[in-house]
Amino acid sequence: MANIAKKVSWSSRGDDRGERTPLLNGAEEVKYNRQLSGGAIFHIGRLSTVDLEEEITPEEDIVRSRPKEIPHNEKLLSLKFESLDYDNSENQLFLEEERRMSHMSFRCLEITRWVICGLIGIFTGLIACMIDIAVEYFAGIKYSAVKQNIEKFTELGGLSISLILWAVLNSAFVMVGAITVACFEPVAAGSGIPQIKCYLNGVKIPRVVRLKTLAIKVFGVICSVAGGLAVGKEGPMIHSGAVVAAGVSQGRSTSLKRDFKIFEYFRRDTEKRDFVSAGAAAGVSAAFGAPVGGVLFSLEEGASFWNQMLTWRIFFASMISTFTLNFFLSIYHGKPGQLSSPGLINFGRFDGDRVQYNLYEIPLFIIMGALGGALGALFNIINYWLTIFRIRYIHRPCLQVMEAMLVAAVTATVSFAMIYFSNDCQPLGQDSTEEYPLQLFCADGEYNSMATAFFNTPERSVRSLFHNPPGSYNPITLGLFTLAYFFLAVWTYGLTVSAGVFIPSLLIGAAWGRLFGILLSYIAPSQSIWADPGKYALIGAAAQLGGIVRMTLSLTVILVEATGNVTYGFPIMLVLMTAKIVGDYFIEGLYDIHIKLQSVPFLHWDAPPTSHWLTAREVMSSPVTCFNRVEKVGRIVDVLSNTSTIHNGFPVVVDTTDNDEPGKICGLILRSQLIVLLKHKVFVERASSRLSQRKLQLKDFRDAYPRFPPIQSIHVSQDERECMMDLTEFMNPTPYTVPQETSLPRVFKLFRALGLRHLVVVDNENRVVGLVTRKDLARYHVGKDGLEELHLAQT
Amino acid sequence: MDLLTKFTFVIACLFAEWCVTFITVANCSEMSGDSALKLPPAANVIPVKQASILGSFYSLSLQSTFPEDLEVNEYCVELLHIYRQRYVTFANCLVTYARPVKICQNCYTGFNSLNEIYANISSDQSGPGNVSCNDSLMRSDRLMLLYTLFSNLDNIWIFAKCSQCLAEHQEALTNDTVYFMATLNQSLSCFEQYQRNATELCKDCKDSYKRLNQLYGRMQKNQTLCIDLEDAMNMTQRLWSKTFNCLLPREETVPVIAVSSFMLFLPVIFYLSSFLHSEQKKRKLIHPKRAKSSSSLMNIQDKFS
Repeated sequence: MANIAKKVSWSSRGDDRGERTPLLNGAEEVKYNRQLSGGAIFHIGRLSTVDLEEEITPEEDIVRSRPKEIPHNEKLLSLKFESLDYDNSENQLFLEEERRMSHMSFRCLEITRWVICGLIGIFTGLIACMIDIAVEYFAGIKYSAVKQNIEKFTELGGLSISLILWAVLNSAFVMVGAITVACFEPVAAGSGIPQIKCYLNGVKIPRVVRLKTLAIKVFGVICSVAGGLAVGKEGPMIHSGAVVAAGVSQGRSTSLKRDFKIFEYFRRDTEKRDFVSAGAAAGVSAAFGAPVGGVLFSLEEGASFWNQMLTWRIFFASMISTFTLNFFLSIYHGKPGQLSSPGLINFGRFDGDRVQYNLYEIPLFIIMGALGGALGALFNIINYWLTIFRIRYIHRPCLQVMEAMLVAAVTATVSFAMIYFSNDCQPLGQDSTEEYPLQLFCADGEYNSMATAFFNTPERSVRSLFHNPPGSYNPITLGLFTLAYFFLAVWTYGLTVSAGVFIPSLLIGAAWGRLFGILLSYIAPSQSIWADPGKYALIGAAAQLGGIVRMTLSLTVILVEATGNVTYGFPIMLVLMTAKIVGDYFIEGLYDIHIKLQSVPFLHWDAPPTSHWLTAREVMSSPVTCFNRVEKVGRIVDVLSNTSTIHNGFPVVVDTTDNDEPGKICGLILRSQLIVLLKHKVFVERASSRLSQRKLQLKDFRDAYPRFPPIQSIHVSQDERECMMDLTEFMNPTPYTVPQETSLPRVFKLFRALGLRHLVVVDNENRVVGLVTRKDLARYHVGKDGLEELHLAQT
Repeated sequence: MDLLTKFTFVIACLFAEWCVTFITVANCSEMSGDSALKLPPAANVIPVKQASILGSFYSLSLQSTFPEDLEVNEYCVELLHIYRQRYVTFANCLVTYARPVKICQNCYTGFNSLNEIYANISSDQSGPGNVSCNDSLMRSDRLMLLYTLFSNLDNIWIFAKCSQCLAEHQEALTNDTVYFMATLNQSLSCFEQYQRNATELCKDCKDSYKRLNQLYGRMQKNQTLCIDLEDAMNMTQRLWSKTFNCLLPREETVPVIAVSSFMLFLPVIFYLSSFLHSEQKKRKLIHPKRAKSSSSLMNIQDKFS
């Protein structure tokens, strides 16, 4: 084991630190250094000599003796997240396998990739179809029950009973959903987009792409939408698509314990991640009927690794998924073969004279964009504080279920109260699409217009806001609705139920957008110019959604595709740009906030600016646990079983003499590989007996993927501990290395562009001095006072 | 896997078949230009014929009347005359019963006779003289006036859904319609009776009005409503709710407010109690192994100074 700390010569000022070093005794003990005194954040840029001297005050020595605990905040990195291995390990086994494969089998692989993408599309489409039908069915039951009840009690008196019935029905649905999520698979909570974003970024979120997660996600989303929460079913579709992709491409399910013995070649992170990006795209495309939008979503939000063939395949998967959804929905709606119905959310078409817009409306659109950005930022800020509160205090499953139920009940109550006290009555249009019009105290033949917005699934409300003819809504109704729904939606996102934020944002935006349109027509001298509030509803929806999630390109295309209208491409783009600029001034996008709050080591596109002065030496972890090329089994087992330092990659060094000089690097081996080796007992002493056995192949590594057994489950006897293991054949002989003086942005670029997991830092004689991992890079970010460093924490 | 390949194959076959049909059709329509002989449908012949008519037209000097073979046949003129009469009658009827709408009950005879003459004209049967009036009256010019006029009225008729109230080839009102009218009249007469006193009206006519409403609801479900009934119902509803103001009172404001505020109060209690009683989740900080050499720190300061 090489210890770099001892090799570095200490300058005079660092002497006190030198005294402390032996105390620290490697990494096993938790170290407390100067960062403690400075509070949670260590401002690198402002370090001064004074600070350095202050550190060694006596109080701090006391602090050092007990473990430091802080409340959860956004400036942490969790240890539980690991990286995916996007980089291929080109060891000898790999080379052998490649040599054995004929040209034909490579062709077959390529075809298989296409088949898998097709399957991903089909299954994603089917799931979308199932969710759609189930939600429609359950919501139908609920709304017709409540409607009947309300009608009965409007006449007889006792409407408070209807209110209670509605609240109870809502809570019951949500309770079922929340219990499954909170108790069986907490990772299925929320929209799943942040998690998929992390996965595609290269972070392995535990259990995120399992079949069980999928089942619970689908069930949960049906419950929460049918339960009347202010949520949509679109975000979860993206997660579902990703899980489908991860499952199909592996040809087996560990949740079901079934192995279909197909697609075995794709059992590694590189391939899986490509398929997951296809799955996410297929999910978007099924959700919005926007295949191109899906591909661009994958590009913008997720995949770091693109080539033209992959893009084309992803597009194929998206198209197939839209097609499948349309096909099965057409059967369900009794018009088999009619493929023109769009995705899960049907915004309806904007066509005819209504789509016209004029040059003088552009500034108005931009104003709306700014408004959307500001409101989105407000949404995010409130949700941020709420989420922190939830992480800190509401972390037990029973509390989470209770919270979800309360939100459902309050949603019903607020809706009911709004409907009850609304005096806005509108006549039923002849082509009205209202499925559950409520008359309440309106004149016969009229219905309560607040009820069209509240007494409906959110998607339908969006559609009626877009398409109902002018005059269907009273400005006061819309204003109150916006206000109430805004707070409900803020409150709902982040509950332990599976649900997306797309539709509520669109709904809020559509409501204030329509309000904006109506007010314009009051101001404008001639009515005809601003005739259509539906247009402003669409722009408002785009602005609000853009202000909350801050997507740009893909959101533009999704909205254009979902409304089937290219004419609005330009205004929607302008609006989204403005919303993003204004929103980013205040706070990040909702998904980024949630990623941060989950303490995920997420790598953005670029290293933080003004970080060129940081070199690999400061960034890296050191000393590094290395293995010799031929290592003793006992040592390997000890290192792997050490629970305090869970390392996943180990540089392999040329055998050195006994002193602490770091060895010269000759390869890199992963924990997962070592575990497989130990399991198969590939020891030098057994080489003779192994000759009779089968030689270890790459297939053995793939079979164990992705859940390698823990080291504790592998039994190594006392005799075997004395054996030696030759790693030459299995290690990656050419790991990426950088010299110590490499700047942070350079290291970052390597990491991001190549999808690395470990980057070895070497000195000028090729000796290992440190190791850079994702967490070492992700901890730097730009805060208010310049560059800040995040803390590692156990969560 | 197997299923998938099979499915793809079927799709491919279907697509291929469709392509073949499409190509054949396309070929046919191309051919019709030069060799119309093969194709019986009249539609394909017309362009050829029109061309010949045009040709002979240009060879003549401009005159106020055309030679006999181009003049409209007498039989067709007769038909045109009848069409005019019936059209006027029907249009007259429509306007007469426009408000309140009673077109379905009163104009169906007019519509039927107009429909009949239109069918006569547009049929391909040739009258005496072996002339098709369909061609000479309907399709000789780009305006196609007779067609446009008729289709407008026909659209009105369809839009009014009159056929839903009419039975036996639109020659009589359905029983449902008659029954509905009777029920409606009951309510209206009740309204008339109590016209002075709105409060009593709301009480005493409630039964008949309610019956009417239920009947209407049933008919709406069965799709046996036409514009006449819809309009009549609309008027009655307006009378009931607006003129006589028989609205349901909003009486339960207090219980609704009470229940709502109780519900809204629950989350406050929940959050307060979980804030006070739930133990705050703490994170253990872990300090990574770093090569913290002071030389590097010095470097930082050097670079910043």
